[in-house]
Amino acid sequence: MAASVVTWAGLAAFGRACGRIRSRLLGSSSTLSPVSCLHTSTELNSKHWERKNLVVYPPQQKDELRRPAEIYHCRRQIKYSKDKMWYLAKLIRGMTIDQALTQLEFNDKKGAKIIKEVILEAQDMAVRNHNVEYKSNLYIAESFSGKGKYLKRIRYHGRGMFGIMDKVHCHYFVKIVEGVPPKVEQKTGFDQAKEYVEQLRNRTIIHSL
Amino acid sequence: MATSICRTLKYLQPTMCLNIKLPQPVFVPIRTKKRYFIPPAVNVKQKSQSEQETKARAAGVVVRQQYIERAINISCTAGIFDPYIPPEGDARLSTLSKEGLKQRTEQLRQSAASQLAFRKIKDHDPEFSTKEFPALAQQIFIDAHAALTQFNKEKLHSLVTERCYPEMVRGNRYKTLRWRFIESLEPPRVVHARCPDMISKGNLYGQVTLRVHSRQTLAIYDRFGRLMLGDEDEPRDVLEYLVLERHLVNPYGRWRLHGKIVPAWAPPKDPIIKTVIIPGPTLKPEEAFEDLHYQVPKPKAVQWYK
Repeated sequence: MAASVVTWAGLAAFGRACGRIRSRLLGSSSTLSPVSCLHTSTELNSKHWERKNLVVYPPQQKDELRRPAEIYHCRRQIKYSKDKMWYLAKLIRGMTIDQALTQLEFNDKKGAKIIKEVILEAQDMAVRNHNVEYKSNLYIAESFSGKGKYLKRIRYHGRGMFGIMDKVHCHYFVKIVEGVPPKVEQKTGFDQAKEYVEQLRNRTIIHSL
Repeated sequence: MATSICRTLKYLQPTMCLNIKLPQPVFVPIRTKKRYFIPPAVNVKQKSQSEQETKARAAGVVVRQQYIERAINISCTAGIFDPYIPPEGDARLSTLSKEGLKQRTEQLRQSAASQLAFRKIKDHDPEFSTKEFPALAQQIFIDAHAALTQFNKEKLHSLVTERCYPEMVRGNRYKTLRWRFIESLEPPRVVHARCPDMISKGNLYGQVTLRVHSRQTLAIYDRFGRLMLGDEDEPRDVLEYLVLERHLVNPYGRWRLHGKIVPAWAPPKDPIIKTVIIPGPTLKPEEAFEDLHYQVPKPKAVQWYK
């Protein structure tokens, strides 16, 4: 039996690595601060999505930057698969609202029509209730799908065998923010190669002359 | 995922001694055990309402009686009865000029109906006096608006009637209001009073109109802390006609703010800071909006109360 030496430093590093893996798994689409990465809610902030519209911020001073309006909207128990819905949600992430609506209008999937309705509802809500000035001055900050409650049915096979068929449902969540969408920096291959070479050059060689 | 149904039956064979009857063990056939879940059938025939009702009654399902109720509030009236019509140019003329003096003397001599109303109010409430009431009423007004900024529901309900409360509060739940009463430019005056009775003859409510000329600041911030209306540092001169009401017959009744009268000649309010689309005419494909020369309809100058 090989003797394994476990140090406290090793254990701490292991714990940190676990936290990072967990945070990467959890926060794929939501932007979380480093502190909240450690223990977020279980269903990716899905139950409280409607409640996020009820947050009131204190009045801003005259010299502060104007806070952009954020509107949260969702639709529950859509008769569609969450995996199929994910493709559409990923498509419109980061687009302006007009661009997203155009893309969804000419997309052939069933979920596209539903997402378009949701976004139009959210836009209407924004202009009426949340003091958004221009309805085109919005962009999709977050958009993702979640699993809804499944109904179970019997699928009959031959020889008296059966399977339990899931009637899939999904939820769709969207967060719309006022303003121009942030520009995502496109990294070229050359940049990545340059970074790699820099990393190699920054290595320190320990225990050497 | 396929699961095979077990077809084997377990049973015990009796022993070869036919005369001795050993006690037979009780065997539970496993084949009849329910191993799967069948949700209620989806493709049921749509029955008509009466058939469904008979089926439900046969099954013993009782549907509770549905109460269609609508709450009636008896502690305040639904509006302002016989509203005061403020004379034009009320705060425009200075009191020292001849026209101003004439207006003031006219106003001081109130109409007979108001005097009658005052007498009726004094019958039910001996502490009421036309001289002291304005100061009290102004304090109620200031307290009510301060409670509105803090959104103190209980205090607001005690200072404001149930008719006025939704008008004050609607839409403000997720907004921040900052209101300050700086000073009163003229001492508040009682200008009008009425004593309507609701439903039955003796059920008296007293409504008194108060004229308040004061300086106030108001700033409304939306959910995100951005300024929607007004300015916190800029005081404005405001002329208001407040209506206070009290249920006179009720010994625990209190004078509460019931509404405001906005005269027909009131200057238009400031627009909100954001741009708003006014719905216009629907265009046909060949038309252009500029060629239509569409006139935005202006609202009629009518006195209204809120």
